[in-house]
Amino acid sequence: MKAFRNFLAVISFLLLILFSSSVPAQAAVPKAKLPILTTSAGQSNDVTTVNIVLEEAGLGYDYCDVPDIDMLKAGVGLADKESGPGFHAEVNTDLAKYPKGTPYQTVIFAVGASLKGMGASGLTIETEEARLKRIIDYCKQNKICIMAVHVGGTALRGAPGSDNERMIDAVMPFADYIIVTKDSNKDGRFTTIAKSKNIPLTEIDFALDLVGIMKQVFQ
Amino acid sequence: MNSKKLFIGSIMTLAVLILVFSLLPRTRQGTTENLFVDDLSQDACTVIMVAKNASVDGSTIATHTCDCGVCDWTWRHVDAADHKPGEMRKIYHINQYKTWPPQEGLKWDLYQNDFTGLEIPEVPHTYAYHHGMFGYMNEQQLGIGESTIGCVKKLYNNTPTPAFDITMLTLIAMERCRTAREAIQLMGSLAEKYGYGYNDGGEMLAVHDPNEIWVFEIMPVGPLWTPKSGKPGAVWCAERVPDDHVSVCPNESRIGEIDLKNKDYHMASAHVVSFAVENGLYDPKSGKSFSWKRAYSPAEGSATSTQGRRGRLWRFFNIVASSLNINPDTPDMDYPFSAKPDKKISVQDVMNMTRDRAQGTLFDRVKGLRGGPFGNPNYYGTTRTISSPTVEYTTITQCRGWLPGPIGGITWLSFGLQDTSCYMPLYAGITDVPASFKIGDHWVLNRDSARWAFDYVDFHTQVAYNAAIEDVKKAQAEWEAKAVAGIGEIDKQALELYNKSKTEGIAYLDGYCLTNADNVVKAWWKLGDDLLVRYNKLSYYDTEKRTRERNKPAYPDWWKKAIKVYDAILEPEEK
Repeated sequence: MKAFRNFLAVISFLLLILFSSSVPAQAAVPKAKLPILTTSAGQSNDVTTVNIVLEEAGLGYDYCDVPDIDMLKAGVGLADKESGPGFHAEVNTDLAKYPKGTPYQTVIFAVGASLKGMGASGLTIETEEARLKRIIDYCKQNKICIMAVHVGGTALRGAPGSDNERMIDAVMPFADYIIVTKDSNKDGRFTTIAKSKNIPLTEIDFALDLVGIMKQVFQ
Repeated sequence: MNSKKLFIGSIMTLAVLILVFSLLPRTRQGTTENLFVDDLSQDACTVIMVAKNASVDGSTIATHTCDCGVCDWTWRHVDAADHKPGEMRKIYHINQYKTWPPQEGLKWDLYQNDFTGLEIPEVPHTYAYHHGMFGYMNEQQLGIGESTIGCVKKLYNNTPTPAFDITMLTLIAMERCRTAREAIQLMGSLAEKYGYGYNDGGEMLAVHDPNEIWVFEIMPVGPLWTPKSGKPGAVWCAERVPDDHVSVCPNESRIGEIDLKNKDYHMASAHVVSFAVENGLYDPKSGKSFSWKRAYSPAEGSATSTQGRRGRLWRFFNIVASSLNINPDTPDMDYPFSAKPDKKISVQDVMNMTRDRAQGTLFDRVKGLRGGPFGNPNYYGTTRTISSPTVEYTTITQCRGWLPGPIGGITWLSFGLQDTSCYMPLYAGITDVPASFKIGDHWVLNRDSARWAFDYVDFHTQVAYNAAIEDVKKAQAEWEAKAVAGIGEIDKQALELYNKSKTEGIAYLDGYCLTNADNVVKAWWKLGDDLLVRYNKLSYYDTEKRTRERNKPAYPDWWKKAIKVYDAILEPEEK
């Protein structure tokens, strides 16, 4: 009997360790609504990954690499703005369900700094931070769900104060839901932010895992 | 001239200028916006390739102009090693572009902090090699040059899932391969099995040995790939440059139609066509043959339509095969993969090509007012020439089959901008690289770093370019041209010793290469000092005669006139 009790104690201890480490990383997937605007925080190429994920999940979206609040206010269709040098806009939302002008219900940020990307868009880290703050403020004021995704691993991380970390600081603490790859969260930084701000966070192994999550979120 | 005449003259001049400017976009470069919309990879590296029967001495030659501007330029030597059964080789993510502040350490130590988690079985013996941003030359005379070519956007896989970046692939190829074909097969298979991408997208490598030179191009397969999928994690293709041909890669995919039955000239991953079909990049029903570059890395424009931003392809063929008379309006996608040069190419010819600024062509950077009074090609940068101010270093890898590997393989290395730098030979067999090649970055002046010696000269050349560059050319004649001319004698001495004792032969090469490099670096620091003194205050000082040339700088008449015209138009006389 004593041996059985010890066995139970060990099992309980192991389960406790297992859950204490996995629960913060695998919170229940929250729900969000369409239509979606995808964008970049830092102009890395990872927003392309997010867009491909949404397509794979069968979800329509609008995309702009450097939207400002005028485009958010304009809603679906991005005010018919066309791509040009240093500016990309795509309308992939199902316009039959969500006609032009329909307010966005969710904004998904792909977080990661790219000097190349910011240079191409004529941005500096400071102007990018300021732009993100305007968008986030608008989202908060208008109850638009903010999802923040970091799938770039250590390549899109850095020392405190580096461009990548500034992008994380600009977006993650204000998100309604954070999704990161395990490689991105090796130091637990996203878990710490999520815990301190009580934000649900999901850790994934591969970008492919995002497909199922997006399906659940927008079910 | 009274003010009324001046006013009329100014109006007429202005009208002419407006007319010229209004015509330029339509006649030459399409829209001016095109200048700036190019992906920045267009500003990156140039690879020139010379097959063995197209070179003067029967060697194969490849370049890598490591054009970046903010990257790490340091070099390392890696020793050969024997490995016990069961040993594993760790695979690291290596970002081409990433640098660390000197106080944190050196790149070629710190990159090992980004272990991918993948270990692959070691081979019994790995070869010695030299590397900078990529592996360049091993002791078996495997040479590599690199150019970023980009790929269709949906194929990028910037997630950490793929284990291999392009740099890591080149290092593994250096460690394990003796021939270009072996290297291509190894890099392709590793990338397929473990995934390719993360820090890199579409990439081109010139892979050569003493007999063959190949263009190897590789793409990721999109961010949703996982190793558990059972599908290849990369798609790749390779084409051999015919033995009497030369070729080039200026950040654009160069492989068109492929014939996989012709294994001596084409290789590819098994799904090269089917993957393109699955992803909507090629339609077999279109009636058109499959083209690798049009499917995976299409690029629009020509030399003229981009005002020279895509001018390197045209310029290369213009230099080496002017008899082809290729029109600069030709879309880049329509260029031949390779061409037979009008005359055989020497390693010095290749050095000169890396210094090319499209002089005397439609894209000359110093024509008109562009170069200022001193004909400086670095002032007005619309045309992307083979030589770029963003270059970290340039390699010219040369494989010579008539010599043993350690003597036959040479990496000619120059730091910084080619026109003010000096190529130094590093034989494949040497057991180290100079200490000054291993350190330094762009942000802290370091007099122990070789690269800074060349930047020091380059900086002081800018002041009175057309005069100072002549002084630099004299130094290049003294150090570079003599090294090129004397390499046969070094080969001979090294070979004699090597045949008696490999160790003695290698020691001789060590002594020659390291001493020569140290001497060149010292000479360039002195040259920088001399230029500073000679062109100080633009007075062209003669230190021997202790005089200065009072008639200097002699501004050309056209420059003086240009100033008058400018003043007349933009700074009208104030009464």
